[in-house]
Amino acid sequence: MEDWRRIDIDAFDPDSGRLNVEDLKPPYEATISLAELEPKISQLRSAATSGDFATALQLLTSDPPYSADETAKARYFEAVLSVLTQVRQAEIASLIKQLSSTQIDVLIKYLYKGMSVPDGQKQGGILLSWFEKLTQNSGVAPVVRYLSDRNTV
Amino acid sequence: MSDSVIANYKLAKAPIYSHCFSQDRSILAVTLNTDCLVFKMVPNGKPQLVASLSDHDKTVTAVDISIHGRILTCSQDRNAIVWEPLSDGSYKPTLVLLRINRAATCVRWAPSGYKFAVGSSARIIAVCYYEQENDWWVSKHIKKPIKSTVNCLSWHQNGIILACGGTDGYVRAFSGFVKGLDSKDQVASSPWADKFPFGALVREWYNGAWIHDVEWRSSQEKLAYVTHSGSFNVVDSSGQMWAAEYPEGLPLTSVVWVNDHEAVCGGFACHPVLFTEGASGWQFSKNIDKTVASRTPVAATFDEEGQDETGSFGISALKKFKDLDLKGKVSTQVQECTHENAIMELAPYSEASGNVTEISSCGLDGKVVIYRV
Repeated sequence: MEDWRRIDIDAFDPDSGRLNVEDLKPPYEATISLAELEPKISQLRSAATSGDFATALQLLTSDPPYSADETAKARYFEAVLSVLTQVRQAEIASLIKQLSSTQIDVLIKYLYKGMSVPDGQKQGGILLSWFEKLTQNSGVAPVVRYLSDRNTV
Repeated sequence: MSDSVIANYKLAKAPIYSHCFSQDRSILAVTLNTDCLVFKMVPNGKPQLVASLSDHDKTVTAVDISIHGRILTCSQDRNAIVWEPLSDGSYKPTLVLLRINRAATCVRWAPSGYKFAVGSSARIIAVCYYEQENDWWVSKHIKKPIKSTVNCLSWHQNGIILACGGTDGYVRAFSGFVKGLDSKDQVASSPWADKFPFGALVREWYNGAWIHDVEWRSSQEKLAYVTHSGSFNVVDSSGQMWAAEYPEGLPLTSVVWVNDHEAVCGGFACHPVLFTEGASGWQFSKNIDKTVASRTPVAATFDEEGQDETGSFGISALKKFKDLDLKGKVSTQVQECTHENAIMELAPYSEASGNVTEISSCGLDGKVVIYRV
């Protein structure tokens, strides 16, 4: 095969434009600020400390802050991760069974996010067991949906 | 093979990305590598190869046949070719200059057969029509606001509204009104818009996932589309939306309306899937041509926690390795459906009293299959 695949054709045509990160962002009507997220973060933390993981999981899988900026998402994720890592291995499967399919789609986003940041990687084992139980419960469908969803957590 | 399969033609050892039957179903055109093969259908026999259209020099991505029998192909070489059937059975090619700088991905003739649209990776839809004076296919571009590759196109029955979907996650409806060819009567009292100047964005819907196929239900003024996330969606002119998830969760690549309340989708699951509209909206109804695999049960399970293997995730691969470990050989695989690889395109094959009764499909396994719905 010739080398034509390596030619950067856009360099010859400035008007053609390139797809950038902004183009791929879903059109949000409003953005959520960190201040608006704080109450939910403290709710999550208190549910985790009191051991009420079912409530915490319901909370973190409903209405995730898709439109928040990266710093707010990172702060929020710290709280989510603290919930996920405090759950005992044996309880994971029963907790996942209580979630709806939409909630599972949200949960898997947090699992992938966790595996992509250093804080989560330290807890990789527990995230993987969440992942295992999740796929045993719902199959590959949440993974396929995660891959094509542009709403990130 | 289940009884929903009427015919199964293994035509090639390479992927067939697109296929099309002529209006009277006597001719079948399929894409194959850099060629387009034309077959003559033989009753109860294997299709007979009658022509190989080989003017493209890169992979042919799509093929369509107009109501007049003209074959239209487009390719990654950035060109489209109209093949006019001649009386001696050969085809006369006319190159259409699309003026795009990336691959052409999909083609659709308008219902009238006098113009067509080509989608491309150059974020452009080229609407082409024939100009008698110059003996030339003219191409006009629809550019804005497409942000990425156009994967699929569908003309409304009125021949003016053109729907497209692509990898930017949007489904859009444009006006493909060509002066001198179309008249305003075609869209009189259309619920979609009042005016249809060429290239105007009529409506857009955001989904987020790659849109693999769009299809109009013109009589209902509805539009269906399927996505890489395995969802089937229907939208209408009043802004209503319905969505249904495919339970197996694999990407859907193609959709065909069966009637106003039923649609068949195909995709990576290798067999067609039926969605129906009930009182509570659209939902998954059934798999077509999927027999339950009669595998021999494994006596011992290894799972340390004693979990059952009913979860579908990775089981076939796991079983393969277990068998390899236990018996030193891989157990014979039970074929579950006629297609052995992903379905790339579905098309209606025959209709009876407003219902599509048979559909044809082509897939990455080089097969063309006809199903009874």
